[in-house]
Amino acid sequence: MAEEENIRPEFPLGRVKKIMKLDKDINKLNSEALFLVTYSTELFLRFLAEKSALVTMEKKRRSVNLDHLRTAVKRHQPTSDFLLDSLPIPAQTVKPAKTAPEKPPPIGTRRIDQFFNKGKSQID
Amino acid sequence: MGDSDRDSGGGQNGNNQNGQSPLSPREQDRFLPIANVSRIMKKALPANAKISKDAKETMQECVSEFISFVTGEASDKCQKEKRKTINGDDLLWAMTTLGFEDYVEPLKVYLQRFREIEGERTGLGRPQTSGEAGEHHRDAGVSDGGGYYGGGGMQYHQHHQFLHQQNHMYGATGGGGGNGGGGAASGRTRT
Repeated sequence: MAEEENIRPEFPLGRVKKIMKLDKDINKLNSEALFLVTYSTELFLRFLAEKSALVTMEKKRRSVNLDHLRTAVKRHQPTSDFLLDSLPIPAQTVKPAKTAPEKPPPIGTRRIDQFFNKGKSQID
Repeated sequence: MGDSDRDSGGGQNGNNQNGQSPLSPREQDRFLPIANVSRIMKKALPANAKISKDAKETMQECVSEFISFVTGEASDKCQKEKRKTINGDDLLWAMTTLGFEDYVEPLKVYLQRFREIEGERTGLGRPQTSGEAGEHHRDAGVSDGGGYYGGGGMQYHQHHQFLHQQNHMYGATGGGGGNGGGGAASGRTRT
């Protein structure tokens, strides 16, 4: 009984099966296949979490964020191969620094801007 | 325990849907429960580490991707070999092919224990030290390409050649618990 608890997967098998069957090509699978997928998914998640936490530590941060996860995925080729494209595109690392280094415009320009804005606000 | 509780909870959500869940049931089914995902991650992370919400949710998506990925590969193998049921061997093969060969050893250990427990529980009359009957099963399994993985400890040497030829991806696969007829468990799930 105790042993049984030991190997009981963390994830609900029914849900794993549903996810497997989202693919229309998947017809039947036996209980061993379901068990192996479930358990390997746990291994994979643990792996991802550990590697992400490593990146977090390297960056001397406390909280694992998407960026760290992305870096962890990139570092493991087999994972990167299937997963990188599915990750959300990082919003911050799209280098906003390059596109939006909004320096205050030179004094002269500002005056002209004001002139145009003035006209606009009058129309409004 | 917790899992089954959560399971039934999910079912209830599906039934009395009063807009309580932000996700449609279908959407929910695409992912593993966030509580389970969190729990596993917490175990894997250092004690003081935290994880942002979006990272957690993305991890949830990642594991679904992983499931589809390995299942797809195993399924392709079955289709090529004109078999209908995906079995444990297909999954182990897929792991290796896809670069997750590190998982194969721990998975084999777990599979072994799973077989022992399933055998005891279901009482399908699969004796632990399978004799001739088990062997016949296994041969039948080989002819349709299914379910002989793991071999019986007793017949290890006898089957070594077979395993070596056909299953060379895993190297020699010993230490089975006489589960000759992997097919016997076909279609049966623990849920």
